[in-house]
Amino acid sequence: MPDINSIFTLLFRIFFLLGSVFYVVFAVVVVRQVAMMSKNVYDKFNSILIIFSYLHLAFSIFLVLLTFILTI
Amino acid sequence: MAPRTTDLDTIAPDDIDVISTKPPSHSISPKPISPLPPRPIVKPKKIKKSKTASPRTSSEDLKYRQKVYELVGKAKHPLASFLPRPKFFTFQQRDDNEEIILVLRRHWFTNLHWILLSLIMVIAPLFFTYFSIPFPLPTGYKIIAFLFWYLFTFVYAFENFLSWYFNVFILTEERVFDIDFYNLLVKEVTEAKISMIQDVTYNVIGFLPTILNYGNLNIQTASEVPMIHIDRIPNPEVVAKILQQMRLEEEQEALEGRVS
Repeated sequence: MPDINSIFTLLFRIFFLLGSVFYVVFAVVVVRQVAMMSKNVYDKFNSILIIFSYLHLAFSIFLVLLTFILTI
Repeated sequence: MAPRTTDLDTIAPDDIDVISTKPPSHSISPKPISPLPPRPIVKPKKIKKSKTASPRTSSEDLKYRQKVYELVGKAKHPLASFLPRPKFFTFQQRDDNEEIILVLRRHWFTNLHWILLSLIMVIAPLFFTYFSIPFPLPTGYKIIAFLFWYLFTFVYAFENFLSWYFNVFILTEERVFDIDFYNLLVKEVTEAKISMIQDVTYNVIGFLPTILNYGNLNIQTASEVPMIHIDRIPNPEVVAKILQQMRLEEEQEALEGRVS
C-alpha cells in the first residue's frame, strides 16, 4: 500500500506544475490587458505599469522552471 | 452674370444670400431700407472653437470656459482621482487639439478595501507556522508555495490598481467619455456629445461618502446611450456644475450657429 505522504506529495507536485503553467498563461493575459488599456488611455505611469506586467510574466516563467527543478 | 435683385422690399429680412455686405451699387440708397440691420453672411462650413468669431462671441465663450476652469481648479498630482486639465493624459478617441477639461477616477477611499486585504496577504505567511499542514512537505514545495502566494498577492493588488487607474470618466470641450474595463477581457467605451446631454443628477448616499465628498453622477443624454452612470467619483456636485457650464457654452455656440 502506498504511503499517504507520498500520495499527497504527488498531488502537490501535479498541482504546482499545472498551477505554474496556467499562471504563465494568466500573466500573458495580464501583459496583453495592460498593453490594450495603455493603448486606450495614456497617462504618465503607463510605462511603469507595462514594465510591472512584464516583470510579473518573467517571474511567473521563472516559477515554472523552479517548480520543475524542485519537484522532479 | 446679371446681378441679383437688390430690392430690399421684395426679400425676406433673413435672406442672407441677397443681402450684400459690400457697398451697394449706384441704384440703391446707401442706407438700408429694411428695419433690420444686415446680417453677416454665415459660412456653412463647420467651425470648431472658431478663432475668427466676433469679439463678443469670443468673450462669451471665454466667460463660460473661464468659469469651468475656476470650477475644476488645478491638478494636485497625476494619481489624483480628480484630474483637471491634465498635461500628460490622452486617450484613443480624442480628436486633434481636443482639450481635456477633466479626468475622473473612483474616489481614493474606494481602494481602501483591496489595499488592506493586500497588506493582510503580505503578512499572512508569518502566521502559517501556527497552522501547519498535518503531513510533512518537502522544503522545495514550501518555497514554491511561498513564491506563489506573493505572486498572487502582487497580481491581486496590481489588477485592482489597473481597474482604478484605467476606468476613467473624461470630459473634453466637446464630449464626455466613460471608459470601463470590467475584467481582463471586457472593455466598454460610452461617448456622448455635451450638446446631447439633457440632464445631470448626482447623489451622495451614506456616512462616509458625505464625510469624504464622493458620490454617483447620472448623465441623461439624447444620444444612443440614454444614461451614463459614473460611480463613486469625488466632488460630484462640482462635476455637475462643470457639465452645466459646458452645456451653456454649447448652447451659446448653437445659438451662434457654430456647430462642432
